[in-house]
Amino acid sequence: MTETVLNVAQSQKIAQPHIEVEHLNLWYGEKQALMNISMQIPKNSVTALIGPSGCGKSTFIRCLNRMNDLIENCRVEGKVSIEGKNIYGTGVDVVDLRKQVGMVFQKPNPFPMSIHDNIAYGPRIHGVSKKDIDGIVEASLRSAALWGETSDRLKSPALSLSGGQQQRLCIARTLAVKPSIILLDEPCSALDPISTSKIEELIMDLKKDYTIVIVTHNMQQAARVSDYTGFFLMGELIEFGQTRQIFHNPRERSTEDYITGRFG
Amino acid sequence: MARERYIKQLDLLKESVVSFGMMVELAFKDSMVAVIDLDVKLAERTLAFEAEVDKLEEGIEVSIFDLLALQQPMASDLRLIVSTLKISSDLKRIVGLSINIAKIPGRIEGGHIKPLIDTKKMADIAADMLENSIKAFETQDVELARATAARDEEVDKIFYAVWVELIEMMAKDTSIISKATYLLFLVRYIERIADHCCNICESVVYLTTAERIKLN
Ligand SMILES: Nc1ncnc2c1ncn2[C@@H]1O[C@H](COP(=O)(O)OP(=O)(O)OP(=O)(O)O)[C@@H](O)[C@H]1O
Ligand SMILES: [Mg+2]
Repeated sequence: MTETVLNVAQSQKIAQPHIEVEHLNLWYGEKQALMNISMQIPKNSVTALIGPSGCGKSTFIRCLNRMNDLIENCRVEGKVSIEGKNIYGTGVDVVDLRKQVGMVFQKPNPFPMSIHDNIAYGPRIHGVSKKDIDGIVEASLRSAALWGETSDRLKSPALSLSGGQQQRLCIARTLAVKPSIILLDEPCSALDPISTSKIEELIMDLKKDYTIVIVTHNMQQAARVSDYTGFFLMGELIEFGQTRQIFHNPRERSTEDYITGRFG
Repeated sequence: MARERYIKQLDLLKESVVSFGMMVELAFKDSMVAVIDLDVKLAERTLAFEAEVDKLEEGIEVSIFDLLALQQPMASDLRLIVSTLKISSDLKRIVGLSINIAKIPGRIEGGHIKPLIDTKKMADIAADMLENSIKAFETQDVELARATAARDEEVDKIFYAVWVELIEMMAKDTSIISKATYLLFLVRYIERIADHCCNICESVVYLTTAERIKLN
């Protein structure tokens, strides 16, 4: 008689997660910033990470392509597997890893070169032949919903684009090296609502080909674009589940307080 | 605590639905006394109530729409808003049915064709259900909501018994058909009121647990 529309898939283990994090701990020097995080992210899904400033969202997302390796004094324990392979294991090529797991940051950061060259940069480094480059540039710009606005000005400096266009260019640049996972750390925080909604549409389109993890401070954005949501608090993953469950009926009091704005 | 004004608005919304519920309960009880005693004066008081109820309901709707448009409610806040919207529409329907009941005394001349003993019993249960469903909403008491909705069965039983009895009486004596028909409508209205109480109880369960269930 009881029809439970929520709380379904959250407890069942995903058979073959694209990304599987197990007992991840991270320290900056003496200070522990991530505590025993475990999470499974299915392929072709969008996962939103939310939580108050300083709770470790960026730190966590950087673990997924070992960007924290670049930070001095940073120590990681635990396991992050992508397609079943531990990226912190031996014999992992970090350059290959970052090709497979692309990242887009809060502030658009195009290189000071033309639109075309921004996108061609990655494929060139990875040895793509000259005759294939233009095709990749066009396909990447199309996938990032930027082709219409830039096809007649590919030689213009990337920095002449608007902020929202620059951010889509950065997404196109990430797509150009054919990753399977895209990490986005607050990609819309510097953008106006129209550019934001373009990026959101893009994210939902891209998930048919990619697995996406996005950090956002915008709760409505998390609710709109994601399939799964993780709530972080002081370095801990407090709750992880289907987005509709988290925003409809969170299990944890602190999640509820955070998403209803009662926090602090 | 953050968002104090918003939280106050939510509290206020909840309070106004509770007082709306208490007004509706009064209207229903008055209409029942009026129909049993064929008290036209009391019936008119219930009829005059309609405008007041409309105003209250409109006020509740406006604050719900404002909260939805301006505050982006989430989680239990969203559930509160959705359930208050549904509950106030159930309450409005109960007022409508009470008004239908209050119109009966003006149409029945002389006395009733039979003492309204079972009908009164049925109405008392429905009034209890109304009171308790509002109480369950106020205290978010899922157990009370379930227990309240379960009483719908008693109401339905009496409804069918009275229905059959009235049909038999009409078959025997066609001169009472007009008066008996009003009594058929009356039990039907009461039965519908109990159904709306069940809906309110379902909303209470949804509000409290996020589960959508059928209680009748
Ligand atoms: N490079 C670093 N060296 C030392 N401590 C750091 C470093 N980066 C982050 N931290 C600390 O780790 C904790 C988590 O920071 P992080 O940047 O991951 O938070 P966040 O959730 O992304 O916050 P925000 O929403 O403000 O971006 C904070 O206490 C922060 O001060
Ligand atoms: Mg951050």
